[in-house]
Amino acid sequence: MRRYLRLPEPATVVWIILIAALLLLIAFPLTKLLLVSLYTRSGTFTFGNYIAAYGRARYVESLVNSLLLASETAAISVVFAAPMAWAISRTNMPGKGLVWGCVFGAFILPPYLGAIGWILLAGPNAGFVNQAWRWLTGAADPLVNVYTFQGLVFVMAFQSFPLIFIFVKSALDLVSSELEDAANILGAGTWTTMWKVTLPMAWPSILGGAIIVFLETVALFGTPALIGIPARINTATTQLWQFFEAPVRVEVAAAYSIPLLLITLALVGAQRLMLHRKGYIAQTGKGGERRPIEFGVGRFVLLAWCLAVGVVSVVMPALVLLEASFARAWGRGPSLANLTIANYRFLIFEHETALSTIWNTLWFSGASATLAALLALLVAYIVSRKLVRFGSVLGFLAMAPFVIPGIVMAIGFYAAFARPPFALYGTAAIIILAFTARFLPIAYASSSAAMGTLHPEMEEAARILGCGRLRTIAQITAPLLKKSLLGGWLVVFIVATRELSAAIFLVGPNTRTMAVLLYDLSEAGNFEVVAALGGILLTITMVLVAIGMKLIGRDFMLRGT
Amino acid sequence: MNKTYRVTKRHLLTAAAAYGIVPASAQDIPANELALYEAARKEGELTWYSGQLQAETGEAAGKAFTQRYPGIKVNVVRSTSQVAYQRLSQDMQAGVAQCDIFSSTDYGHYNVLKRDKSLLPYRPKSAGELIAAARDQDPDNMFQILYIGLYLLVYNNQKVSAADAPKSWTDLLDPKWKGQIAVGHPGYSGSIGVMGVTLSRMYGWKFFESLEKNKPQVGRSSDDPVTLLNAGERTIGMGVSLSAPLLSQARGNPLSIVYPTDGTLAVYSPTAIPKNAPHPNAAKLFMEFACGPIYAEVMRKFFIMPLRPEVPPPDGAQPFDKIKLIGSSPAQIEDGVPEVKEQWRDTFGV
Repeated sequence: MRRYLRLPEPATVVWIILIAALLLLIAFPLTKLLLVSLYTRSGTFTFGNYIAAYGRARYVESLVNSLLLASETAAISVVFAAPMAWAISRTNMPGKGLVWGCVFGAFILPPYLGAIGWILLAGPNAGFVNQAWRWLTGAADPLVNVYTFQGLVFVMAFQSFPLIFIFVKSALDLVSSELEDAANILGAGTWTTMWKVTLPMAWPSILGGAIIVFLETVALFGTPALIGIPARINTATTQLWQFFEAPVRVEVAAAYSIPLLLITLALVGAQRLMLHRKGYIAQTGKGGERRPIEFGVGRFVLLAWCLAVGVVSVVMPALVLLEASFARAWGRGPSLANLTIANYRFLIFEHETALSTIWNTLWFSGASATLAALLALLVAYIVSRKLVRFGSVLGFLAMAPFVIPGIVMAIGFYAAFARPPFALYGTAAIIILAFTARFLPIAYASSSAAMGTLHPEMEEAARILGCGRLRTIAQITAPLLKKSLLGGWLVVFIVATRELSAAIFLVGPNTRTMAVLLYDLSEAGNFEVVAALGGILLTITMVLVAIGMKLIGRDFMLRGT
Repeated sequence: MNKTYRVTKRHLLTAAAAYGIVPASAQDIPANELALYEAARKEGELTWYSGQLQAETGEAAGKAFTQRYPGIKVNVVRSTSQVAYQRLSQDMQAGVAQCDIFSSTDYGHYNVLKRDKSLLPYRPKSAGELIAAARDQDPDNMFQILYIGLYLLVYNNQKVSAADAPKSWTDLLDPKWKGQIAVGHPGYSGSIGVMGVTLSRMYGWKFFESLEKNKPQVGRSSDDPVTLLNAGERTIGMGVSLSAPLLSQARGNPLSIVYPTDGTLAVYSPTAIPKNAPHPNAAKLFMEFACGPIYAEVMRKFFIMPLRPEVPPPDGAQPFDKIKLIGSSPAQIEDGVPEVKEQWRDTFGV
């Protein structure tokens, strides 16, 4: 009927709403961030905020520290992850399932929990590693000290190497063995081939992964607060936190974060430029066989490396936290008499806010994952089916948060939505919207990859039979993409449950999430309870991962998309 | 009379769940409180923005109030003091009245609120029975001291003997404590800010410059050292609140507290009723209750110093009259803390 009346198809309305939503979620906070940084409270144009933000050597030094920390963390993560990815993707290394488990574990362990674990392991005086070292060698000096620049770098790298693993593995999966065979035939050994052929093919993904690690590390708040402050290292995030002390100076915080954004953009630009002139096409129409490289003793060396990374990044911190969460008194050390479930009981049955933060976390994450999945599906549909003229701009907008440090995003959201006319400060809405925007790229990447595998002919059939656009999406496209959508939904859900840096600036008294409660509790000197809350968070995550594996397949979270 | 009887009966029913506190009978509710209760029951609830107490403590106090005055629910909105203040300011700007009781550890908030004429004057009758330090701190009765935080020294008694342990703030400068001390940060903890102001008034900022020679581990909150001491990472905690080590000690951790001979730091925290409180009678009744003995008992159970002379201090703590107190005036704190934050960052580099 409607079409006869020449009204616009309902789909068109949806596209307009979609564009508006993306502008509101992504372009608006960033524009607002820039504007706020350039005006005084009373509305006159000024560069004064930049002078306030960078007028002290200490403030500049914090930013430099962050950049150094992030670069080193990215480099070390590559050292950890690239051999693991290669071993899993290309060789006959045994125990691949175990290594998968370790990467998985590192991915779901929230960064600040890993940091607390490592404080207990590598504290210079009482850390378990150092106690063992002194007992074994009789040395007086500690073996490792977590409260140093290097300590901070390693703890951060333990938490972020899975990102590089995902990128590099998915790139290596595509390199066909024929390329390596060609090198072998020309006389190159396994190592030479790896260095000269396989590795260069994976170069873009290594660089891409390193940039993502860089961005994630620059935006980390919990780890620098827990380890950096005692190590006397100021970072950009702890500095931003200071601008948020009452009276909140959001305009100075905005000015402080603009250069961070510019550096990020420069990095992404540099990556484009470096990869610009070379060809990295691994997938061609000619099929190509992929088979594992046969290794003798070497495969056990590889396994040892992978397991070593797994032990330091997951097993050791997780064990220490587990022990603490069941301890009556942490200071009395491990013993049967010191064992209790009181910490868990306290959180679940007695702590007045713990349950509400668990509930907040679940529903904020669920709502943002749903919103992000929905937006991502629609944007991916428009872009891949070329429904509007500047569709690729929408795709760009959906991916943009990928290169914006989470904490900058949060400040943009604060600047844009906290005050009237929106007045969203302290509401669930501001957190859900911020999480949606922050994790939209994950959902978009998974939807758009999935969309690429779907030939339009099925939709066309439905359209010919008289279905509208929206009905086609709801009844044909979405069901076909069910698994990918669910996979994307779960990944967004899981990363949202542990997000701290975006949440910490946006929560109000009634909207605290578990990550924020963990951070608050870590200040209250009651460490046993912190560990127990971490245990609850991890249990929830693991249940979800198990559901995801059951429904979608074992590698759903680490599938390179 | 009928109404009075109902109060008693409901009280007896809920008494079993009370914190070992004898239920109130109508007879021991003073006449002025009965009148307030009558009016407050029509309001039915009150909202308490609190940055002073931990969530559990606040909830326990709220429950004890409802047990004494059935029919009035207490919504505890617990956060840090800065957030509670920010929330209240935003409510006021937006013209929304939500908060009935505002408790913060920052005296400065009350100076501003008072200047802006945003507070409701009320002097609780029961406040007259509090210890002198908590009584009549504001000549205009705009706020009432309900919480005195004590900050002192703590040590790990497995690593340091009682004889060896530092006895005063200045003992911390002894080179034998190099690499052993842990302390919070004035940029994250208001009470560490007050400690900075007070100790630098007593000994000059050079006290902290000498302290830096012992390389203290700087954390964030005043209670951060407790974790480090329990783990054995550091052995001496400086400027730790009384309740955190007492609680940790009760769990079995090897901690002991020291009241410094040159004075225990006392930080006075006011509580006030905002002028636009939506439930003013319930708020006034709550103020009466908070100055009374039941509230003091609840605080004692959570290792917070009760402000009533007849209620003994928490287990393991000294009564107020046995402690030498030091502190700074609200004006000194308001002016001094920003400067201390800067000096701290210059001296400790973080």
